[in-house]
Amino acid sequence: MKKVIAITAALALAPTFAAAESFQEAFEMNRAMHGKNHVFEWNGNKYNTNHEEEVEAAVKATKANALDLIAKAKAKNKEAAEVGFEWKLTGGIIKDAEKAVEAGEYRKALDLAAQAKYHSRMGIQQHAYAQKHWHLSVPQ
Amino acid sequence: MKIIKKLALGLGVAAAAQMAQAADSGFDLKTVDPEADRIALQNYFKSRFPQAEVSDYVNGIYAVDADSREQWEELEEFPPYEFAVEEGEVLFNTPFANGKGYADCFENGGVGIRQNYPYWSKEEGTVKTLEMEINECREANGEKPLKWAKGDIAKISAYMAWTSRDKEINIEIPADDPRAKAAYLDGKKFFYAKRGQLNLSCANCHVQGSNIRIRADLPSPQLGHTSHFPVFRSKWGELGTLHRRYKGCHKDSRSKPLSHQVEVYRNLEYFQSYMNNGLVINGPGARK
Ligand code: HEC
Repeated sequence: MKKVIAITAALALAPTFAAAESFQEAFEMNRAMHGKNHVFEWNGNKYNTNHEEEVEAAVKATKANALDLIAKAKAKNKEAAEVGFEWKLTGGIIKDAEKAVEAGEYRKALDLAAQAKYHSRMGIQQHAYAQKHWHLSVPQ
Repeated sequence: MKIIKKLALGLGVAAAAQMAQAADSGFDLKTVDPEADRIALQNYFKSRFPQAEVSDYVNGIYAVDADSREQWEELEEFPPYEFAVEEGEVLFNTPFANGKGYADCFENGGVGIRQNYPYWSKEEGTVKTLEMEINECREANGEKPLKWAKGDIAKISAYMAWTSRDKEINIEIPADDPRAKAAYLDGKKFFYAKRGQLNLSCANCHVQGSNIRIRADLPSPQLGHTSHFPVFRSKWGELGTLHRRYKGCHKDSRSKPLSHQVEVYRNLEYFQSYMNNGLVINGPGARK
């Protein structure tokens, strides 16, 4: 299992992965059909259906780990804002994660930070997609 | 929320279907052609709503939906913005502490000029909106700027729109400054790009989705969008500016909205207003 997880993370992080879209499609279909922790095959290799952030949140629930993931979420969200694609709820989720740390609820904090980081990553992806495809809905 | 998600999917399909027609021009600075865009948008709505007159699009959703039009005509019998226009006139004519007034800042004393806004300022290299210049006029005369969004700024803007009623919208994109076209393109791109947690573009609701029910609402066609601002919305119970509406709609895609008068909102206003060239100013307006 561990090995599979590592591959997923590596793939998700590689920005110039040649067949990104079809992997993405396979990933999303399997995720939609089977939820988390499902292993599927794509182009002869095995992958699992966990998001990068779910992998990051699957660490020991300590204060240090929670703060670390919150910092990552903040940085990603800043990146999303810089390209103009920050989502509405992300900032609030990060605040909630910080409150959870204060309350000593590190598992909750990790999950919230993971969600916020996922939102941010999706916003950045949306920006990249928009750069290429925005014209598709312009009437000609 | 389910409904909205489903609709978004449906609209995605509608957008994909249009791919077939998409020409390969108009999407970068070299090929973008505002006049071709304007005509294409009109033609799109002509074929979508053949019964609607182009000149009627200044009335938003009421141009294409008979039911809400009836309610709106009743509303317009006692226009809810009437007092605001009167107050706007008083504010407009009240001199600043230095004895000068708004009339000194604008062409033609500020009367009958709404149709020329927003415009490209070559000197400043940016799109200037009417609200922006109202506040610049104040600051140039030692007054504090007004808060954006609503209140006095919307009233003054409403009075200025009122004096411009029935004037043809006349947005120019000067050919001798490529930055003007870049600003137009930036606004166009903002309008058509999908964004936010719901992955919706302005166009998903106001082009492909116009007059298709979204929860309790029918989005208006984007043609005509800017002609009647500021607007008195029953939901707000008061007047609001165009950028107030932009922020609300931006948030409807579950994005974090931007601030009033940021560059991309002004570029969006430039693009949307250009689409309305040839239609007339009918501000302030009333909407649900
Ligand atoms: C989820 C659908 C949705 C999205 C996305 C959306 N809007 Fe709207 N918008 C509406 C609805 C519904 C109304 C109210 C009914 C109407 O159109 O007057 C409205 C109203 C407006 C109005 C006022 C129209 C009038 O006649 O007073 C403007 C202008 C506007 N939207 C612009 C935008 C812009 C620009 C964007 C993109 C940032 C956008 N909208 C995104 C649904 C949407």
